[in-house]
Amino acid sequence: MFSLRRFDWLIFIPMVAIAAIGVAMVYSAFEISLPGGPRPGLENFALRQLLFAGIGLVIYLVAASLDYHVWIASFRWLYLLVIAMLLVTLAIADPTFGTRAWLNLGIFGIQLSELGRIFMIVVLARTLGVESHRLENAGPFLISGMLVAPTIILIYLQVDFGMALMMGTIWLGIVFLAGVRWRHLATIAMGAATIIPLGWFQLEEYMRGRVYHFLYPGHDPSGASYNVNQALISIGSGGWWGKGFGQGTQSQLHFLRVRHTDFIFSVFCEEFGFIGAMLLILLFAVLIFRLIRVADSARDRYGRLIAGGVAVSLFAQVFINLAINANILPVTGLPLPMISYGGSSLITSMFALGIAQSVSQRRKPPDNPLL
Amino acid sequence: MGDLYVRLRALLLRIVVVIGFAIVGFRLWDLQVVSSEQYLDAADRNRYRLMPIEAPRGVIYDRMGRLLVRNVPGFAVYIVPGDLPRDSEERAAVFERLANLLEMPVDSETPRGIEQILQERTIGPYLRVRVASQVDRHAAFIIEEDHLELPGVVVMAEPQRHYYDASLMAHIIGYMGRISPERLDDYRQRGYQPDDSVGVSGIERTQEAVLAGIKGQKHIEVNVFGREMAVIASEPPEPGHSLYLTIDTEFQAQVEDVLRKGMAVAGSEIGVAIAMDPRTGEILSMVSLPTFDNNLFSGGISIDDFVALNEDPRRPLVNHAVSGLYPPGSTFKIVPAVAALQEGVVHAGTTLECRGTLLLPNRFFPNDMSLAQPFRCWRRAGHGHLNVVTAIAQSCNIFFYQVGGGFMEFSGLGIARLGEYARMMGFGEPTGIELSGEAAGLVPSDRWKRQTFGESWYTGDTYNSSIGQSFVLSTPLQLLNATAVIANGGTLYRPQLVSQVVDIQGNVVSTLTPDPIREMAVSPENIELVRRGMRQTVTSGTAWRWTFEDVAVAAKTGTAEYTKLDEHGQLIMDQHGYLPTHAWFTAFAPYDDPEIVLVVFLDDGGEGSQYALPVAENMLRAYFDIPQPETETELGP
Repeated sequence: MFSLRRFDWLIFIPMVAIAAIGVAMVYSAFEISLPGGPRPGLENFALRQLLFAGIGLVIYLVAASLDYHVWIASFRWLYLLVIAMLLVTLAIADPTFGTRAWLNLGIFGIQLSELGRIFMIVVLARTLGVESHRLENAGPFLISGMLVAPTIILIYLQVDFGMALMMGTIWLGIVFLAGVRWRHLATIAMGAATIIPLGWFQLEEYMRGRVYHFLYPGHDPSGASYNVNQALISIGSGGWWGKGFGQGTQSQLHFLRVRHTDFIFSVFCEEFGFIGAMLLILLFAVLIFRLIRVADSARDRYGRLIAGGVAVSLFAQVFINLAINANILPVTGLPLPMISYGGSSLITSMFALGIAQSVSQRRKPPDNPLL
Repeated sequence: MGDLYVRLRALLLRIVVVIGFAIVGFRLWDLQVVSSEQYLDAADRNRYRLMPIEAPRGVIYDRMGRLLVRNVPGFAVYIVPGDLPRDSEERAAVFERLANLLEMPVDSETPRGIEQILQERTIGPYLRVRVASQVDRHAAFIIEEDHLELPGVVVMAEPQRHYYDASLMAHIIGYMGRISPERLDDYRQRGYQPDDSVGVSGIERTQEAVLAGIKGQKHIEVNVFGREMAVIASEPPEPGHSLYLTIDTEFQAQVEDVLRKGMAVAGSEIGVAIAMDPRTGEILSMVSLPTFDNNLFSGGISIDDFVALNEDPRRPLVNHAVSGLYPPGSTFKIVPAVAALQEGVVHAGTTLECRGTLLLPNRFFPNDMSLAQPFRCWRRAGHGHLNVVTAIAQSCNIFFYQVGGGFMEFSGLGIARLGEYARMMGFGEPTGIELSGEAAGLVPSDRWKRQTFGESWYTGDTYNSSIGQSFVLSTPLQLLNATAVIANGGTLYRPQLVSQVVDIQGNVVSTLTPDPIREMAVSPENIELVRRGMRQTVTSGTAWRWTFEDVAVAAKTGTAEYTKLDEHGQLIMDQHGYLPTHAWFTAFAPYDDPEIVLVVFLDDGGEGSQYALPVAENMLRAYFDIPQPETETELGP
């Protein structure tokens, strides 16, 4: 059922705007700064990103026109698919950039955990959204936790701490929105409080290093905190209005690394300043608020938890990425949704928004037109 | 009711979103608005560098305007330590690749590897360190092309010195090299960088300030690899001045040729020949053999070449003309002659007798002649009665023993006065020529002997000093300069090598002016007597082998005994028990109005009158364009 009248423009328009900004920023942060200038055809990352956005848009529209109950109905298969994808990735993927999350398919690498994340939103929505399940007892809560735990472990084994963190956050968010009792959350929190200090020593060396560099950023200007410092310089030197599109010295002269992926927000801040950054955040905020609104007005609990899950996922990823760029959080490799270069992240993000769009188009009519 | 409960959760989520973005927003406010300037500075520090622009070094011409050194393009490879990859493995990969291209080791003590060079020369993260110079053009282009793979590696065009007539002029022009660590601070105060090449010997060294010019500088924008992306502002360099030497290379080549031949005849391994204009102190020619190719030093000499040159016992890197110290022998007799005349010890008419041997009584048993010490003349039969002029011409030792040390009732100069005149004529102090490594020489005194050997000064020491033996040591240039004082009638000039300094447009900046060190406090008549003695040396004295009379020449021969130990620590002597001798010859011409004064020195060259004389003769033949006699009598009787 695709209805233009019920089409949710408040998801669509910010999404397209953000993706367009993403294509432009990949062009500025990467292609312009290459010694030979932008490359032709599909060697050009910005054109690739545009192509991914096109594919993402098609998938968005397909997902929007499908009834989201299709996904709910097949949740067992989806869960098995997620586990299978993560196992395959772990088994055969090449380690690139120190992580094994990428499955190399010739010209493109594909990050299956991105897709797994979307499917897990559906799986969790189905697990916690069954009307008959009372959240008064801890049953559904524990079941959902047991479903999520293997995926987190598998992603962690791929040395993709960022995505593992995301998966945990999505679970917490959906559980929270589903109405889990505070006492259950408190129990989990206490459990976490005892595990985290122990876990510190289980962390890979590079992760502990990142935490140190986060805590003492100026400590080692030539060492590993180099990029954090360069990101701060990029952002700070942007000032109110920025240096202009393609004019960021930090990115154009390559002082900033991974500038087209995880640190693309720093480039944006350098080139468009505080005003630009606020407008970008505003776009994300509009989208996230709209998703929460869609959750509120969803036809059923499944739709509500799917839209809410997408909102939590989007917000968590945006917040963590921005916080890393601004050195509020230690570095964990996470792209900025729909801005950072990368097909897997862009297409799955749009896919998730497509499912949320589907929920929105099937929302219940307002109880009260004035509300 | 349950609905409201979950709606409350959605509200809480909205609050979390607002708080989250607010935190980010405040942080960005702090970074981009409050502290923006500080980060803008940091971004500028990242990308702007102040780089020196090298000033073209002045070139050097000979007296006739022949180009002696030229700047040729070369490539040098630098590393900017701060631009190297942070990751140690990536850094190792860069070193590995660079080492392959430059055909040098990464980690090695000899020859120096990249790691060692960096360790030694790194001053700051963004001060470049030269890893290799005189890099093959092809390798330089590959490195330039691959700069993305070689972050922190920079190729720069770097002019190098190419010397024409390299070995002919090497001792005069010298060569360039790295700043030695001890002198680094001194050079840095003058605006040099640790990696700059500077003149380290010869004219290149002494005229560094004139030749080097003044560096310019430019503000450039660089990328993370340290590559220049744009020039923001620049201040052009001031090119160095060029020099014209006093040397005529054509004459220099002739002198080298005749010296080389004379050394071959004498079996001498080290030889020096210098010619100077006695009226101005201009050096017309200066040859020290063996010599070396100073092009080997351009862009850094190889270890093998340097070891070979440095360990050669003939010391080809040393300019023996200014650094070699030798007993001057009989050529030194002009000093006691001048001194004795001026001090009234002898007069023009004073005669002293030479019987071939002078017995100096033992100072404690003056009446026991069996204890007396014999001093001999080179002519065993003796010279009979001599005045100062004939004594010079015959180079009589006995005459000068008495003049210097006195004998019986005749009181001589004494070492103090002898030394005073020697120093007045330039012995015992560097002449101040524009060359590096000049030795001071030695004019002994009784005080010096007591301090050095803990022994008193004996009359015998004065005797030997009077004939340029015992402790007297001179460089060939000092002896030449003292002879010039006789030639020009009493002025000691500083010898000079630079006749003109011109700027880049060819405008004359300065021209050589004679630089008198001192006027001798000696009457012209007394100098004239010594000149006459030197003239008679040629006409009827020890230089009897002289073959041409086209130009009137005055001269002095010298055969200086020296002591040298063999590998067993024994004095080297010939089968008759004689010490080996250096052959000396000094001369000036034309006698009436001298325009050239010269010195020839042959290390271990035997008799001066026999072996050094032909060299001097051929030098003057070349200078005055006098053809060789029909029959070659090079070996002589």
